[in-house]
Amino acid sequence: MSDATTPILQIDGVEKHFGGLAALGGVNAQVDSGKLTAIIGPNGAGKTTLFNVVTGILPPSTGSIRFMGKDITKSSVHEISRLGLARTLQIKSVFHGMTVRENLWIAAQSREGVFKPFKSAKSCRAANDRADGLLEELELTHLANQEAANLSYGDVALLEIGIALATEPKLLLLDEPICGMGPAETERTVAKIKELAQRIDIVIIEHDIEVVFDISDDIIVMALGTVLARGTPEEISRNAEVRSAYLGDDDA
Amino acid sequence: MTAQQINKWGLVLFALFTLAAPLILPLFIDAFWVDIYSEMLIWSLLAASVNLLFGYVGLLSFGQALFFGMGMYGVAIGVAKLGLGFWPALGLGIVLSTAMSAFAGALAVRLTWHYFAIITVVFSLIFYFTALSWKPLTGGDDGLSFSMPPMLTWGEDGELSLTDPTVQYYFIITMVGLCYVLMGVILKSPLGWAFRTVRENAMRASLIGLNVYLIRLTAFIVAGFIAGMAGALFAFFGRYASASYMFYHVSGEAVVWAIIGGAGTLLGPVVGTSLLIMLREELSTLWEHYLLLVGVIVILVVVFAPKGIGGLWHGLVNKVAKPAPDAVDAKDGEDRS
Amino acid sequence: MELVIALGMNGIVWGLIIALIALGLSIIFGLLDIINIAHGDFFMVGTVLAWAVFEGTGNYWLAFAIVPIIGFGLGALIEYAVIQPIKNAAALSIVATFGLSIILQESVRATYGAAPSRLTAPIETTIPLFGLEYEVYRLFAAFISVVAIIAFFIFLHRTKMGTWMRAVRYDPETATAMGIPARRVYQITFAIGFAMAALGGVVAGPITTVDFQAGVDVLPFCFMAVIIGGLGNLEGTVAAAVMLAFFEGVMASFADPTMARIGSLCLMSLVLLIRPHGIFSGATR
Repeated sequence: MSDATTPILQIDGVEKHFGGLAALGGVNAQVDSGKLTAIIGPNGAGKTTLFNVVTGILPPSTGSIRFMGKDITKSSVHEISRLGLARTLQIKSVFHGMTVRENLWIAAQSREGVFKPFKSAKSCRAANDRADGLLEELELTHLANQEAANLSYGDVALLEIGIALATEPKLLLLDEPICGMGPAETERTVAKIKELAQRIDIVIIEHDIEVVFDISDDIIVMALGTVLARGTPEEISRNAEVRSAYLGDDDA
Repeated sequence: MTAQQINKWGLVLFALFTLAAPLILPLFIDAFWVDIYSEMLIWSLLAASVNLLFGYVGLLSFGQALFFGMGMYGVAIGVAKLGLGFWPALGLGIVLSTAMSAFAGALAVRLTWHYFAIITVVFSLIFYFTALSWKPLTGGDDGLSFSMPPMLTWGEDGELSLTDPTVQYYFIITMVGLCYVLMGVILKSPLGWAFRTVRENAMRASLIGLNVYLIRLTAFIVAGFIAGMAGALFAFFGRYASASYMFYHVSGEAVVWAIIGGAGTLLGPVVGTSLLIMLREELSTLWEHYLLLVGVIVILVVVFAPKGIGGLWHGLVNKVAKPAPDAVDAKDGEDRS
Repeated sequence: MELVIALGMNGIVWGLIIALIALGLSIIFGLLDIINIAHGDFFMVGTVLAWAVFEGTGNYWLAFAIVPIIGFGLGALIEYAVIQPIKNAAALSIVATFGLSIILQESVRATYGAAPSRLTAPIETTIPLFGLEYEVYRLFAAFISVVAIIAFFIFLHRTKMGTWMRAVRYDPETATAMGIPARRVYQITFAIGFAMAALGGVVAGPITTVDFQAGVDVLPFCFMAVIIGGLGNLEGTVAAAVMLAFFEGVMASFADPTMARIGSLCLMSLVLLIRPHGIFSGATR
């Protein structure tokens, strides 16, 4: 789809300090189009902080971030979303007081513009169609009129991915999508992610090493706020430094 | 009947009652209740402006009286000091309150939660004290009275004026009705749904590409317009404006009306306002300290029925009603939360 | 000039009393996350109780001991009956305390009456100070306020309950996990808040009026002190209260007091918008 030679996401020298503490100490990384990239690393390695900086939730202290060749270092959260970068949060984040369909509908409508005070929501066909399509695709149709607050944990996670998809992203960042799921839900979600990876670029933060090695084309290993290594699953599993820092005995 | 049908018929009955009130009410009770009823409808708009912000966008404003006061003074100053006619004065009141809400909102909606509540009080207090001390313009504590300009004049001495109680009543319910229709339309639009996303989860809203600041500001301005309309109508209703209506107690009362009526339902504020004003009119003559009861009701509602009467009503209706065949498509502007 | 000094002095005295009351507001806000609209009425209840003690016993000094205890009890009761049930709906807490404010004002109006009255100070002598005859009671009022404020800080830093309060404010979940009884801490915090406001009422009783609406004026002042001093910054609250009262007192000597109030409010909105942690926030977070 996009040019394979320019990375879809380019992160250069990004640092993030909280007071005297460096959560990110100069991250250089890139995410290539057409691949499923996984970010692994022990707790406190800065994975989620990196996602927060990339999506504009936290401004980086220094460094620059380019998305599809465009500098987004200083862009705000909603601007970045509009460029086609979507994400899910570690603590599942949906609109709890709204139904599943309403959740998907407003996310779809966000691409058509919401400052239409005199247009009836029912007559917004593009968003209606996309919401219904996603309900079917994610097999949530039977829950369409359920309030999100009443869903099971796995269904909330799926809905959150659905909300992200409704915004028609070019790149999707998933923060521990299967954390806290049972085996059946995990299998369903992993299958879904694999399927999605066929059509959009995905970066996933995940602790389950088995899943990571199963689904990813590219792995970025982080530790103590920097990138320790990057490579294919084979390369990473052979990397001695990674083995001792992360895959080995010490799980900081 | 489905829940939507019950609500629809309830709305129709309510509209018919409102239209016929000047004819029916005097048959059963004192005719002054017609006046009180129109007063209730005006005040319900102030509660509705609180509800629009709190019930749909999740911002608790304790300063809506500021915009009420702006609408009120716009009309009174327009007529008494600038010699404006009826419609220009009404326009001045609405423009002033809307402009004030754009200014105050641009600053205030950067804050959320308690900080938002506090800064809205502070803004309203600043202008309350200003109005209090700017006596030549506002009349300060004593207020500013004016005589009613005609709405419409024709020929030699043909005129339509609010001095005619019937004209006044229908003028008020038309304007109030238009405001509720406006809010109803907005709440069913994409913008209305964007409001709700900000209430539910502002972080998620910006992550799907919504400009949360702009959405909050828009809601704040619409709410300021509604509150300003209430103030302008109240000025015409009483031929009078006073700084005391800008005090934070008035804002607080509006919050109470909205919460008791049920935040997040379009007509909850009408119910809450009517109930408490009726309580005031009926009880205050019987028992001097009826406010004690109001305070107790407020606390009981907050503790035991935080969704207010609107929430109780929806619970009841959903229990009685048959489930709708396709609830999503037929859904009206009412929220369940 | 003498007027300026007198009003400035009065301002400082009043500021110390406000500081005492505002500290109560600040700990309730900091720990329970509640905007206590009824806090001014807690103060007002204090003045009325002081009046009642004086009427009943003929001895004003007794009020200094009795009224804060009654205030503590009332606070604990209100926390149990009203605040605890709505602990999970922070936004509604404003509404609940507004209802509380109505109840307190109306109960006082029903019992004490609507007409304001004045209490005679238990010390009626004056002493020469900066070229004017200054009321000794005002100096005494300032002294009591300072003692109470210092006692509060010692309590907060030197006792087990004080440590618990600071822990709960810092991180309620960890504090609970460590076995601190958070619910009791909340209740005692609210009770102390009421007691401090009530003591403020006793202290201020003879230099202000006893009136069921007295709290309406005190509340915005306390909020200004809390916000300008920095939410949760207790020392800042004290400093801001004294500064504001001094400023308004001096301003009142040559300008419309309302103008001084508008000035303070504008300063407060600036602080809220630019430095929401208060003007003294350097090291704090």
